[in-house]
Amino acid sequence: MNLRDSLEGLGAFWKEFSKNKTGLVGLGLLAVFVLLGLFGTLVVPFPGAIDHWRDIGFWQDNPQAAPPVWTNWFAKRKGVVSSVLDRAQAEESTLDSGARVSSLTFDYDFGYDLPPRDVVVRFEGSGLVPVTITLERPDGLVAELYRAQLELSEGDVQRVSLARNCSQEVVEFLRASDEALAASLDADLVKPVSLLFSRLSPGMAESPEALKGAYRLKVNAFLFSEDARLAKASAVVSGHVSGIFGTDMAKRDVFTGLVIGIRWALVIGLLTSIVTVMAGVLLGVTAAYMGGATDWLLSRLYELIFLMPVLPFLIVVSAIFKPTIWTLILIICLFFWAGPFKPVYSMALQIKEETFVEASRALGSRSWRIILRHIIPILLPYSFASMALAIPSVIVYEASVSLLGLGDSSIVTWGQLLNDALGQGAVINQLWWWVVPPGLMIALMGMSFAFLGTALDKILHPKLKTR
Amino acid sequence: MSDNKDKNAKEPVLEVKDLRLHYFTSKGVVKALDGVSFRLDPGEALGLVGESGCGKTTTGVALLNMPSPPGRIVSGSIKVGGVEIVGMEEQELRRTVRWSRISMVFQGAMNCLTPVYTIRDLMLETWRVHDDAERPDLPKVEALMRKYLALVGLPEHVLGRYPHELSGGMKQRVVIAMALFLEPQVIVMDEPTTALDVIVQAQILNLIKDLKAERGISYIFITHDLAVEAEVADRIMVMYAGKAAEIGTNEQIFGEAGPAHPYTRKLLASTPRIKSRVSELAFIPGSPPDLVDPPPGCRFAPRCEFAKPKCHEAEPPFGEIESGHFAACWKAMEDPEYERN
Repeated sequence: MNLRDSLEGLGAFWKEFSKNKTGLVGLGLLAVFVLLGLFGTLVVPFPGAIDHWRDIGFWQDNPQAAPPVWTNWFAKRKGVVSSVLDRAQAEESTLDSGARVSSLTFDYDFGYDLPPRDVVVRFEGSGLVPVTITLERPDGLVAELYRAQLELSEGDVQRVSLARNCSQEVVEFLRASDEALAASLDADLVKPVSLLFSRLSPGMAESPEALKGAYRLKVNAFLFSEDARLAKASAVVSGHVSGIFGTDMAKRDVFTGLVIGIRWALVIGLLTSIVTVMAGVLLGVTAAYMGGATDWLLSRLYELIFLMPVLPFLIVVSAIFKPTIWTLILIICLFFWAGPFKPVYSMALQIKEETFVEASRALGSRSWRIILRHIIPILLPYSFASMALAIPSVIVYEASVSLLGLGDSSIVTWGQLLNDALGQGAVINQLWWWVVPPGLMIALMGMSFAFLGTALDKILHPKLKTR
Repeated sequence: MSDNKDKNAKEPVLEVKDLRLHYFTSKGVVKALDGVSFRLDPGEALGLVGESGCGKTTTGVALLNMPSPPGRIVSGSIKVGGVEIVGMEEQELRRTVRWSRISMVFQGAMNCLTPVYTIRDLMLETWRVHDDAERPDLPKVEALMRKYLALVGLPEHVLGRYPHELSGGMKQRVVIAMALFLEPQVIVMDEPTTALDVIVQAQILNLIKDLKAERGISYIFITHDLAVEAEVADRIMVMYAGKAAEIGTNEQIFGEAGPAHPYTRKLLASTPRIKSRVSELAFIPGSPPDLVDPPPGCRFAPRCEFAKPKCHEAEPPFGEIESGHFAACWKAMEDPEYERN
């Protein structure tokens, strides 16, 4: 077949395929998946997550178990959307004493009905640096929140959490502003961030009313020595809602996990289905064409494999050997070649009796040449369709094994996400955004290939279409 | 052919002696070919006729030493151009015999062409299988392909077509071109015109006759259609139940005197004729014998109206009745013992 013929054939195929709506839906879904799989790191909020999925430090600035951002649309009181303030106005001035003052100002426009859970200020630098942090509220009050002499070194990120490190200072601030109010508060039960972002009123501890408006967070560093520096400062507002699909108990962004998971789903699905279908077709045709002892051996092997329950076997093997994903793929391959074997076998038995096979024997072709060049090309359409149809089940098998906590824990798959969700009580705590999206992704991925497979089947199946 | 000396002078291009091909099934050994002998001279056409299941196609396939399992050539000899191919290694057969010495046009040529390749690829395949060179010398092969397509009366653009784009007659021509392609010494044509309509059938038969006249090809023409056979064959071999019943020239079989073997007579009588009006077609009562356990005497005896005790007891040898005319029949041989009863 030359190039022109192939292109023509492809054109004709596309013409027919484009008439099939389910096929197009499947192809569209698959295209989205492939694009996300390839370029997903460009769209996710945490591109580094692929290497740090299980690194607690990487996720520490996120809110824990926060619902998705869009739940705000349905909420009466809008929760804070987690955000990172990394654009600071930097000013540097020199004091009379000769010390430099580096001052960074973060503007934060606060417009939610609930105060944030936490605000974390991060920075790094070098040298011995006294740092102060202040917050200017929209009502003109200024709270001094932090004052410390820090030994900074390059690469060592300092984190100041207003919720954890500044409760004393917040109480001080209240006392300075409204003595009576401060006295009414139980200093031990104070939620500092909640107070900072609330209107000063009696009962603000019990039912705080958010004070909307422009806040300015100021970080001042006093640089006495020449090499002292303050750098890479940012402030993280940890809110009630976060990301497209919220966060899990370990503060990980579920959306990022889903997008990273696409890669593995595609790799596992495609690799396994390609290998298994190729092996199944080759073995099926070989058994049918060769007949005799080869046929007997392969057929018995097929029966043995086909009768074995895959999932229980996978579970046992995984539990005992703790396999890596590649071993898991290999084991799935060992089972799945049996899928296309019998249909191919029966088709090959039929094709084998066709005159053109006898003719190519008479022509002097070797058996493998007849198998590869005269029988398998006729089975290719079936193979493509069954490849597409095998993918969903492979993905589900991997997910099942991972869900049970027996998968390869060094990679991120949807099954792993579900396993974490299950293990950490997502269902009991009603963290639906942690459970539904991964399940939905598995279903969608399965659907896209199933749609594609049935469309291909319809178009290419030799029985349904006359040559 | 009629001249005995002339026949002996020529080295036969194909010589089959006492060929036995049996199918080893679970129900027993089916003796599909049980001692068949014949020869084919260069430029000659031998017709093979007989009922379904008498071993015509089996003979054809056996000539390429390619019995389909569970069949096996048990004994006998097949010499193609003087080379013995029974007992030859499979690899040797593939490389030196199949298609290069003896090729075959299969029953139902429409299905002979793998549907996923163009005619060019398919013809190239015949070349690839036999050419030792890593890459075929494409311009040379291309020229050859065009030559042979022209020979069977097909335009060149057929090369780029897929089998399904061609009509039945065109496919049949392609298959014949492919059979000629490597210039084999013998071509086995197994009912090459069966699936075609009468007009195309006539065209193909004319083509085969022309090829024989112009290029002197020698072929074996297998069919159950006696009229076709009379048209294309020089000599006819009538087969019955895995054995040759009668071999003779066209004239000897179809001529005024009529064939020698009662089976051939019956076969001819079963052919409808345009001139005679019959309300019912003549047919041969009974059915061919079970080849697992054939009757001891003449295999046709149970259905033969001339059968006498001798016919049921002893198997008639393949005797020469007149020059070049053989028949396996006691009656035809005018055996004294037969006559007595």
